[in-house]
Amino acid sequence: MNWLKQIFLRRSAYEDLSDEIRQHLDEKIEELVATGMPRKEAAAAARLKFGNVTQVERDGRDVWRWPSLEDFLMDIRFAMRMLRKNPGFTVVAVLTLALGIGANAALFSVIDAVLLRPLPFHDPERLVAVHSVDLKDANMGGESSYPAFLDWRSRTHSFEAMSVWSTMGFTYTGGDQPESVPGAMVSANLFSTLGVSPAIGRCFTQDEDNPASDQLPVILSYEFWQSHFGGDPDVLGRALTLDNQKFNVLGVMPPRFQFPVQRERVEMWITIARDLQGKSAMAGQRGVSYLQVIARLKSGVDIAQAHSDVLLVQDQLNRQYPEDRPRGTTINSESDQISGAMRPVLLILLGAVGFVLLIACANVASLLLARSTVRQREFTLRAALGASRWMIIRQLLTESLLLSMTGGALGLLLAHWATGALVAMAPQTLARTSEIALDFRVLGFAFLVALVTGVLFGIAPAIQASRFDLNSVLGANGRGSSAGPGGVRLRSVLVASQLTIAFVLLTGAGLLLHSFNRLQHVDPGFRADHVLTFLLDVPSERHPGPQRAIFVQQILQATRALPGVKSASAVFGLPLSETQSVFTAAQVEGHPVPPSQRPRVAFRIIESDYFHTMGIPLLQGRTFTARDEQGGPPLAIVNETLARQMFKGENPIGHRIKPGISFGDSDEAPLREIVGVTADVKSGSIGGRIAPEIYAPQTPTDFIGETTIVVRTMNDPEALLPAMRSLVTSMDKDLPLRQVKTLDQYVSGSISEPRFDALLLGIFAALAFVLTTIGLYGVISYSVVQRTREMGIRIALGAQRGSISRMVLREGSLLALSGVGAGLLFSLFAMRLLRGLLAGTGETDPATFIAVPLLLMAVALVASYVPARRATRVDPIVALRCE
Amino acid sequence: MKKSEQRDLFPGALEMMILRTLKRQPLHGYALVQHIKRTSDDLLQIEEGSLYPALQRLLKEELVKAEWGISATNRRVRIYKLTAAGAKHLERQVSSFEKMLEGITRVLARGES
Repeated sequence: MNWLKQIFLRRSAYEDLSDEIRQHLDEKIEELVATGMPRKEAAAAARLKFGNVTQVERDGRDVWRWPSLEDFLMDIRFAMRMLRKNPGFTVVAVLTLALGIGANAALFSVIDAVLLRPLPFHDPERLVAVHSVDLKDANMGGESSYPAFLDWRSRTHSFEAMSVWSTMGFTYTGGDQPESVPGAMVSANLFSTLGVSPAIGRCFTQDEDNPASDQLPVILSYEFWQSHFGGDPDVLGRALTLDNQKFNVLGVMPPRFQFPVQRERVEMWITIARDLQGKSAMAGQRGVSYLQVIARLKSGVDIAQAHSDVLLVQDQLNRQYPEDRPRGTTINSESDQISGAMRPVLLILLGAVGFVLLIACANVASLLLARSTVRQREFTLRAALGASRWMIIRQLLTESLLLSMTGGALGLLLAHWATGALVAMAPQTLARTSEIALDFRVLGFAFLVALVTGVLFGIAPAIQASRFDLNSVLGANGRGSSAGPGGVRLRSVLVASQLTIAFVLLTGAGLLLHSFNRLQHVDPGFRADHVLTFLLDVPSERHPGPQRAIFVQQILQATRALPGVKSASAVFGLPLSETQSVFTAAQVEGHPVPPSQRPRVAFRIIESDYFHTMGIPLLQGRTFTARDEQGGPPLAIVNETLARQMFKGENPIGHRIKPGISFGDSDEAPLREIVGVTADVKSGSIGGRIAPEIYAPQTPTDFIGETTIVVRTMNDPEALLPAMRSLVTSMDKDLPLRQVKTLDQYVSGSISEPRFDALLLGIFAALAFVLTTIGLYGVISYSVVQRTREMGIRIALGAQRGSISRMVLREGSLLALSGVGAGLLFSLFAMRLLRGLLAGTGETDPATFIAVPLLLMAVALVASYVPARRATRVDPIVALRCE
Repeated sequence: MKKSEQRDLFPGALEMMILRTLKRQPLHGYALVQHIKRTSDDLLQIEEGSLYPALQRLLKEELVKAEWGISATNRRVRIYKLTAAGAKHLERQVSSFEKMLEGITRVLARGES
């Protein structure tokens, strides 16, 4: 601890030293006086003998110091003083850096949570998603059927474990009100596949996949357990009523556990046993593909090996069940499965935000360069007093690091706020948003970025500033060529590069915005405004058999009588809702096609007022009537695409079509007579293509209990919700309204990802644009100030003021032209990255490629015009007098 | 100019002389300088001030210690004393210096003959 003592005792050591030296001189003087020398002479002689007192004192003190650390602290103190002395410069630089670093930190926090951090399961690298894909229709999802999954699991050898899951909504009736709770149905081994165990209670055991027992088990999330049972451990073994069925609470998962990893939290898990109950159980049919498969690779097995293993089994299945559509398989890692789709766009955004930071750096570097010319005399003076070049560079780098660190700290504040906004507007497809946080990883990242940034924008100006010739600067009475052509050239290059980068970002943002704008104006085929929708799952326990359809009719009738309601109807398979999308193979009567060749069509069940309520125009024939809903011969209405694809110009009305789907007790799907053709509707996604569709009337037999009520209102549809709720409760007190949303919300949800992409890139491009404009303005006006004397001479020699301003303007436009030219070239390549994100807009969209250069050139001219005007106002007398 | 005078001493020479002087008796700074000058018959041109940074170095390495006291001429002075570590250090320095000197002398002698 010697060094510590030394630090504390240092000050007294310094005092001792000075004291001692004084004593020394006194003694010497006394001695000399004693020899007869006059006191004054003696004092001078003593000092001469002694040498430079100050120097000796300093050398003596230096012995006790820690040179590098203390120099550094002194540099910092000095830098702080310098920055405080120039508040304008400091504020601009810090804000610029804060924006740049903050944007980077915010985006990094998203990317870190979504892409970089491993999944919160045991050994997550070995978790994979296995898909069953329709070889005929690549657009179909990768779900598998339960029997196919069982075959995969038993016949493959590459996997340690394989499980299925599917999300669902439960109606939980146990509290004060019926409540709709998001949940999942999983195979019993799911939790062991993931390598997680419950906080209390136990996991499912293998035999709990069998529906034999009359009370099925359920596992709760920690959060649900806390909010609904107050964390009471006695909850284990208690019975829960979900969808009018009793479930036994088996366990509670640990806090924050989430599976599947997706935007909407899942609060409870039950086993597949529920879907194996009954005669026509969903999980019993090989043709019903609705389950996601997750598996854990055996250690040492890679994805390619596992894939060929599964593929082999699937080939056997395809031969074994020729009546099914042939299927293939794909495998990807679970982390890819969860965030892979967002990876490209997040990386593009990271690149963009990195470029924004580069522009910010260039701006600050430019400011520093300008300032270092002003401070040239200070540096020269310091050099004359013995400062080495390295000391000056070190001092300047300290100043820039101080700037970047302050900017970084402020940037983190901005990031904190921006991350919240990012999460709020993130599309549904962005999973793991709940893990986004400004944690130590983000702090570390911001610190590193600030460090690199500080060196990046500081090093060139520092070297530039330290490179001077003492004699010329001090000699030329402190002015003249001190600007140094190098500084101006460097700043011009910086600005031209900024323009290039801003061009690329603006083009990217322009393309995305254009594409998004197009999406926003896509006609979905229905009128989305003023429609409230919610889902009802009518339980057969309280409304047995045909009662369910009648109950829905009663609700609709009561709804139509509510004030403010224009019309109301019901549909199974609401467009854009993603739930309830049922696809089936179909064939036209008289045109037999082998099962594997039949086209897949979307199948919806509608109430007779559906087209009217949704505003979907009827093109041919008629809509369903109340009479059709009583029963009678099966009917169908088809969409335009189906009419075109399956009838090829023939009038489909009167023909009969057979969708491969049956209800109730009949095993055979009925032939349906086509009575009408409607316009196409964007039902999958706003940007997607349109599938052939069949609508069937809702009859007591063609009804599965689950239906979406659509209500067209005169005013704000959400204002109707309370009345709607009490209406439903009055007719069935245990029936909750699920997925309450307006149709507009479905539409905007469908384009939330393009909106997110366009908005973010737009913000980054706008930042880049503003910073570049400031940079350009700074460079031009600075060069005008530098050349005040030159302009004065020119004017004194008779140059027209117009020609002076033209000269400045020319300088500005030359800079802008070179930047824009390079930007154009880069953009032509860079925009290929955006190809996958553009809907209906080419990556060389002419509108964007014309607008961006025009915008940048115009701004460049304005930015140079202001200084150009100032240049013409140079008074030659004033300019020359400062000689 | 001042520096060139000092350059005549090799690094550590001043410290060595200080330690050697203090080994005989504790002294304060001024007396120390006078003693070194006198003993060297003024052959060594030592700037008086240069003594003090050297003393600070020795203090820091705890080869000497200092105490305020009263000198023979009744002045308040800071008196330096050799420590045990300082004595050991001096021994090492002197022996290595002697070896070096011998080496140099031999080379110089050979050059003459």
